[in-house]
Amino acid sequence: MKMIKAIIRPNKVDEVKDALAALNIAGMTVTEVRGHGKQKGHTAIYRGKEYNVSLLPKMEIEVVLPDALADDAIKAIVTAARTGEIGDGRVFVMPVLESHRIRTGEKEA
Amino acid sequence: MMSVPGSPAHPGSSRIMSVPPSASDADAPRATAGGPRAVLDAARAELRADTLRGAGGRAALERYSDRVDALLRQIFADAGEPPSSVLVLALGGYGRRHLCFYSDIDLLILFSGSIYPAEERFLRGLLHPLWDLGVVVGHQVRELDDFRTLETDNPEFLLALLDARPVAGARDLFDRFAEVFHAAATHAFILTSLLQLIDERHAKFNGTLYQLEPDVKQAPGALRDLSATRIIALLTDPLLLRRGPADPARFDDAEDFLLRVRSTLHLEGARNQNVLSHEMQERTAEVLGYPGAEPRIRVERLMSDYFRHARIVHRSLHWARKTAPVPVGANLGLSRDGVRFLDPIQAARNPPSWIATFQAAIEHDHDVAEEALSCIQQHVDRYRADDFFPQPADRAAVLHLLKPRKGLYERLSEMHDCGLLGRVFPEFQAISWRVVRDFYHKYTVDEHTLLTIRNLERLTVTEDPSRRRFRSILTDLPAPELLVLALLLHDVGKWRDDDHALESVRMAEQVIVRLQLSTEQREIVLFLIRHHLKMSLVAFRRDTEDPDIVADFARVVGTEERLKMLCLMTLVDVEAVSPETLTAWKEELLWRLYVDAYNHLTQRYGDELIERNQAGLDEVLTNRPADLSAADITTFLEGLPQRYLQLFTREAIHRHVRLARDIKPDEIHISLEPSEGVWTLAVVTLDKPFLFSNICGVLASFGMNILRGHAFTNPNGLVLDVFQFTDEERFLALNADAPKQMLKVLEDVVSGRADVTARLRGREQSILKTASRFAPVVRADNEASRRYTILDIVASNALGLLHRISRVISQHGCEVDLVLIATEGEKAIDVFHITKAGVKLTQAEQLALTSDLQRTLEGRA
Repeated sequence: MKMIKAIIRPNKVDEVKDALAALNIAGMTVTEVRGHGKQKGHTAIYRGKEYNVSLLPKMEIEVVLPDALADDAIKAIVTAARTGEIGDGRVFVMPVLESHRIRTGEKEA
Repeated sequence: MMSVPGSPAHPGSSRIMSVPPSASDADAPRATAGGPRAVLDAARAELRADTLRGAGGRAALERYSDRVDALLRQIFADAGEPPSSVLVLALGGYGRRHLCFYSDIDLLILFSGSIYPAEERFLRGLLHPLWDLGVVVGHQVRELDDFRTLETDNPEFLLALLDARPVAGARDLFDRFAEVFHAAATHAFILTSLLQLIDERHAKFNGTLYQLEPDVKQAPGALRDLSATRIIALLTDPLLLRRGPADPARFDDAEDFLLRVRSTLHLEGARNQNVLSHEMQERTAEVLGYPGAEPRIRVERLMSDYFRHARIVHRSLHWARKTAPVPVGANLGLSRDGVRFLDPIQAARNPPSWIATFQAAIEHDHDVAEEALSCIQQHVDRYRADDFFPQPADRAAVLHLLKPRKGLYERLSEMHDCGLLGRVFPEFQAISWRVVRDFYHKYTVDEHTLLTIRNLERLTVTEDPSRRRFRSILTDLPAPELLVLALLLHDVGKWRDDDHALESVRMAEQVIVRLQLSTEQREIVLFLIRHHLKMSLVAFRRDTEDPDIVADFARVVGTEERLKMLCLMTLVDVEAVSPETLTAWKEELLWRLYVDAYNHLTQRYGDELIERNQAGLDEVLTNRPADLSAADITTFLEGLPQRYLQLFTREAIHRHVRLARDIKPDEIHISLEPSEGVWTLAVVTLDKPFLFSNICGVLASFGMNILRGHAFTNPNGLVLDVFQFTDEERFLALNADAPKQMLKVLEDVVSGRADVTARLRGREQSILKTASRFAPVVRADNEASRRYTILDIVASNALGLLHRISRVISQHGCEVDLVLIATEGEKAIDVFHITKAGVKLTQAEQLALTSDLQRTLEGRA
């Protein structure tokens, strides 16, 4: 199993969700997050005064899926979330050792 | 209390006329048999007989007062009518029909107009016969208009006026007088003065009513206290005494007793004497028929009666002072349990006063009393929406009530609970307890709506660092009550299940018609309701880093004021969905979109010009007045920024087109209009160096404080400057030909015939000495606009500021094409779109200009 953690633009959540749904991946966790990568925020000016916007609002999508689906899912996320501009985000992939369904105690390896 | 005949009652006031006895006998009517003398003698004989029977109480004094009324009417008729209508009023004790034997006859002689010799002749004709009869007259002479300003130097006179009663002359003057005199401020002043006078008087008697030789007029518990108690009730709560410690009948008994004693004292002392001395106590006890074998016993019985009555009066006065509600509006008093109606029966018939109740409660930071809420609930179904605001002032009161501040949510909730909100706004009733099932909303639609208003109210005082930025845009709003009205109505369309924003707009239009909002107000409210979901959609679900997305959004919004309102509306609306909906993350996204759209509206609009087939152009063309051709309008509009169409109403645009038509070099066309204390000046002329600076300088030289404004230049060099300013020195208000004078000076200055700097020198020197409250910000930017260097300036607002800034810009050889002027409190926020020789400024030019401006703004230049 793999965990895919994607940091994307807030306005891209719906498109990413749809793209994953097309792969029959339905379970996911979506979190509002703030952070910066290479983009490092920027300077905004309001009424002549500059203020620094260092942490940008992003959305984080977490999906856990079988290894076989991982590549397609990553591709789908990248395609759906891409604008080509700085700030499109990142996708991280991590191995998952095991998973337990709380309702039944059932274990998946 | 009143004046001595022939001498002014209180010489400090210039309005008091003294009427010296005249030598001319021709003016004075003769006292003949059946004439005044006989009438007076008969009246006195009757009162004497009544008093000696021990019955010189209220009934006798009323009879006597009526006979004196008749006497006055007779003399009035003989005095010959003056040219301006006149009314004689009885004041004080005489006004209450308690005239005693030797009391002064206190009169107000009231003229409808000014007092000229003919009126003075009439006065002599009235007063001389009275003096000849030997009666002591305390007279005041006034013109009706005198009562329009409150006379604070003679509170006793104001108190006596509360008992004013028309005796002879033009009866209609009494109603006019009553209307002018009975103002809330006057009542409040009289009440304060009365309480002070009572304290001073009581101090003279060592604060105790148990005097061995009491003054039946002045002592604590005596006649003055009795009438003071009634006046406190009259001014605060007419029904107060009914709830008092003594039943009103016992209060009346006390009065009758005191008056009977007083009549005896007058008659026995043969003068205006009110002290029940030991000697007089014996005589009075005898006259009033107290039984007892010897005088000592009769006196004891008299005095025990006296103290019994005085104690009732004293206690009632004490209770009234303690319990009387503080007047907080017409028929409204503030008691411990909140704001309530003084007279619920009257209130039930006057629904506009219900709105005033909630207004007063907010102002005094109190609840509306439960009994007032029940009264409203009981009667609310009898009225329709229009009944709550029949007059323009009532409609303004509804809007005023909606200003966001502490207590608004609680008051609106009370209004909703007692059924008033749904009557004033039947549209709101449609969503009462309305449940719409979705995954987000946690409350019924009506409560969600009221919570948006609570969130806005909380924003007015928030100290939360991330919220303070939103608070600052709320304080900028000139009319936040329109935002609250829009919030109140934004979801009313949810009574239906389809697109609620459109249905809300339709319903809001009905409210707007009923409230008779102006075109501008209407547009703002409808815009906010129509687009109340737009900003959250763009901020949370669109890529706001895409300049086109921001530009589209900004185009929909159109003006900074709308943007600010929509931003706040979005914030409080999202927050009212559930406690978890508005996250810091969403706040940040919203704020960013606000800033980007604000910058677009203020810095980039110079790139978006009006073209043929422009949206909004049709509206201006189709609805044009007969004197304007389509060509007139398009010639004027083409090349102006698109934003112009959103900033001005159709009427204003047509006005500008007229000003621009056929303009020649060196001509200046202006229009100047007042509206609610703010003047709007539109100037059209052809561009030349220092033009903007000169126009601002001329306005400053007349003392005008510029609040808002826009300067536009079209590609043909036609300049339109629109300024809104306040006339602090009332130059325009006080001079009929002020617009002409201003135009003349504008023409002279713009054509170079006069120098505005010289006109301003005196004024500027005094201003520049006063230090600025915060450091000015000057920033130049070449990125925002394709065509212009943008100059952002934020500085302390001061007279002539714009003139000084723009003069520096012109001195640097720059052309000013577009200017945005805004004032928020003490801050002036100005954005200039400038070029030099037709192109943007270089880095070096920017630096030279901004440092020069910085020096000027810091007063170092």
